[in-house]
Amino acid sequence: MRRRVLLSMLALHLGTVTGVAAQRTAPPAVRYDQHVPAGGQLPPAGTLRNPFKDSKRAADEGGKLFSAFNCDGCHAGGAVGAVGPSLADGRWRYGGSDGEIYHSIFYGRPRGMPAWGGTLPADAIWRLVSYLKSIEPSRDTAATTRW
Amino acid sequence: MIAGHIVSALAVVLALGPLAPLAQAQANASPGGGASPAPEEDGQWIMPGKDYASTRFSGLSQISPRNASRLRPVWSFSTGVLGGHEGQPLVVDKTMYVVTPYPNVVYAFDLTKEGYPLRWKYRPNVSAAAIGISCCDVVNRGAFYADGKIIYNLLDGHTVALDAATGKELWKTRIADVNAGETTPMAPLVVKDRVIVGTSGGEYGVRGWVKGLDLNTGKLVWTGYSIGPDDEVLAKPGTFKPFYQRGSQLARDSWPKDGWKNGGAPVWGWLSYDAELDLIYYGTGNPAPWNSEQRPGDNRWATSVMARSPSDGSLRWAYQFTPADNWDFDSSQEMILAELTVDGRRRKTLVHFDKNGFVYTMDRATGELLRAEPYVPVNWAKRVDLKTGRPQVDSSKMTGASRGTVEDICPTLEGGKNQQPAAFSPLTRLFYVPTNNMCMDYTASNVAHIKGAPYIGASVPYKAGAGGHLGAFMAFDPVQGRKIWEIKEPYPVWGGALATAGGMAFYGTLDGWFKAVDARTGTVLYKFKVGSGVVGNPISYRGPDGQQYIAVYAGFGGDWLLLSGDVRSDDPTDVRPPASFMPDIARHTSQGGIVWIFGL
Repeated sequence: MRRRVLLSMLALHLGTVTGVAAQRTAPPAVRYDQHVPAGGQLPPAGTLRNPFKDSKRAADEGGKLFSAFNCDGCHAGGAVGAVGPSLADGRWRYGGSDGEIYHSIFYGRPRGMPAWGGTLPADAIWRLVSYLKSIEPSRDTAATTRW
Repeated sequence: MIAGHIVSALAVVLALGPLAPLAQAQANASPGGGASPAPEEDGQWIMPGKDYASTRFSGLSQISPRNASRLRPVWSFSTGVLGGHEGQPLVVDKTMYVVTPYPNVVYAFDLTKEGYPLRWKYRPNVSAAAIGISCCDVVNRGAFYADGKIIYNLLDGHTVALDAATGKELWKTRIADVNAGETTPMAPLVVKDRVIVGTSGGEYGVRGWVKGLDLNTGKLVWTGYSIGPDDEVLAKPGTFKPFYQRGSQLARDSWPKDGWKNGGAPVWGWLSYDAELDLIYYGTGNPAPWNSEQRPGDNRWATSVMARSPSDGSLRWAYQFTPADNWDFDSSQEMILAELTVDGRRRKTLVHFDKNGFVYTMDRATGELLRAEPYVPVNWAKRVDLKTGRPQVDSSKMTGASRGTVEDICPTLEGGKNQQPAAFSPLTRLFYVPTNNMCMDYTASNVAHIKGAPYIGASVPYKAGAGGHLGAFMAFDPVQGRKIWEIKEPYPVWGGALATAGGMAFYGTLDGWFKAVDARTGTVLYKFKVGSGVVGNPISYRGPDGQQYIAVYAGFGGDWLLLSGDVRSDDPTDVRPPASFMPDIARHTSQGGIVWIFGL
């Protein structure tokens, strides 16, 4: 029921966040930790700051959005991975800083990650980031011996 | 043991006497043909199911229970691709054709030369976006040979035709829209000058269809939707005659208003064809979303069999196995066309082992249901009423967002059987069936449709069924509803079956064994660990040296890639906990595509 309320709230929100508004939330270029800087020179880029950094409430709301926007349809409940990769193992294909995850959600990624920046407002994406960052890898998954 | 071999050898010799049923099964074998007399077993394998009847029965008999223990691998080839290798190779004349999962490479091997070097290789440019909207791994179910062409689907919604001799691309047609959740892993069926293809996407809110393309140009000739208004389902007055539900707008009015527009009913499985009736048969997938309360009604023709004319697509009859599906019971499993005796009468039947746990025997001319028997433990329905064609559902097993978690439903949404095709031997008159043995807890939830994103609305963990084993390979008589024998397997049997005139059956296991079995007794006569789990379908052919061979893919994947925890090693950023219902599968297998050939 709460999810429904959340959904309709967002639906209202979405009504106002289209076109120009979506452009307003477009992030600046992000410096990717994983990219190799040619000549040792970092390209001009910024970092994004999560306005909800360390907010447990934002993380909880992000968890609901994760389900309401069908993220769990690919990444599974708890983000442990299904069609899409695990987002709960502490490892990140496209970088795990808050800004890098924001970019992944906003612009999407090749191999099927949809670009949500045209549909979701910035604060919803940040809540999703907060949720994902709040998931602690349950244990060291490097060696599987638990048969 | 020796005595046993002699007895079974004798049984084979005796069974080989009346070859009439065999000839009948082969009658449908040549594409473009139909009226032509039954050809001899030509030693080839030119379409996914071996013949139009989808029997997966080879008339070759050199390999038999007498000598099967001497089988050995004679060749193998890494496809260089890690996705689940569902499907099967083709053998046409002296060439073997292999289609890989995404990125859908085709290899053509020259069987006349030592080591089987490539004649050619085809590498299409397939959109990576298709990876993320493929519900169940990036599989491909194989190619079809017709008219000098190799025809198959790319995952990203294209059908291509290649010159079988050179690998040159003859045409490429966009058939599906990845941005709308459509992907195309299924194998086409070619009938006369028509190429029939379908779309996946039951978990992405597609509206399922089949399309008929022109064999020579690839141009779209017709589209027949599974659901929606009559004129788009191609249900025309006068020619559409279902045996049970009569009337107009059946596929529109059994949905809430506009519900059919994102209602699923995809076509991702196998197709069959009866040349005499000039009808193609195929099953449709689940209605979307999985939360049934969002789509009150029977949701026709999701979870159904459809019979269409191949030339113009017109729908002749349809029958729904699971009305108002509550359990994701797709009916995409193969339709095997066999001549069976039912109630003392020889009938032209269609036999279908449905995900829902029942095996259906139908009159394939009319769509009349003749038998519906459980082939695995079933508890969502007590029986199927042959008069009305409807299952008698146990209301305590019905699901929906308002019902919370409904526990212990058997079988699971993986089905009593899923994509893994069964085989039919006209000699033993038995079906050889790879099965799953699992039950599920089903928690549905409300879900919004967002184009390009999944549209599911349920969380469904699995557990082992009775006995604790997760799968079995069995010989089954669908008319008697009788299991003749079974081989229990620790994991779901996700690879298909092959039956041969030598009195053998073959299959592979998820933990990577390829097995050769006495078709009459179920005795395993030979097995070999093939390097990765088998989710593909063995074939048999006669090589240029005149010897009989068996070929099969190894290559773990399909649904189990998503659910088996840590079997993948190719992505350092994707490490998953083991699945509760099969925590140790990663101890026995890893990913990796290999083509294997076995011989004496």
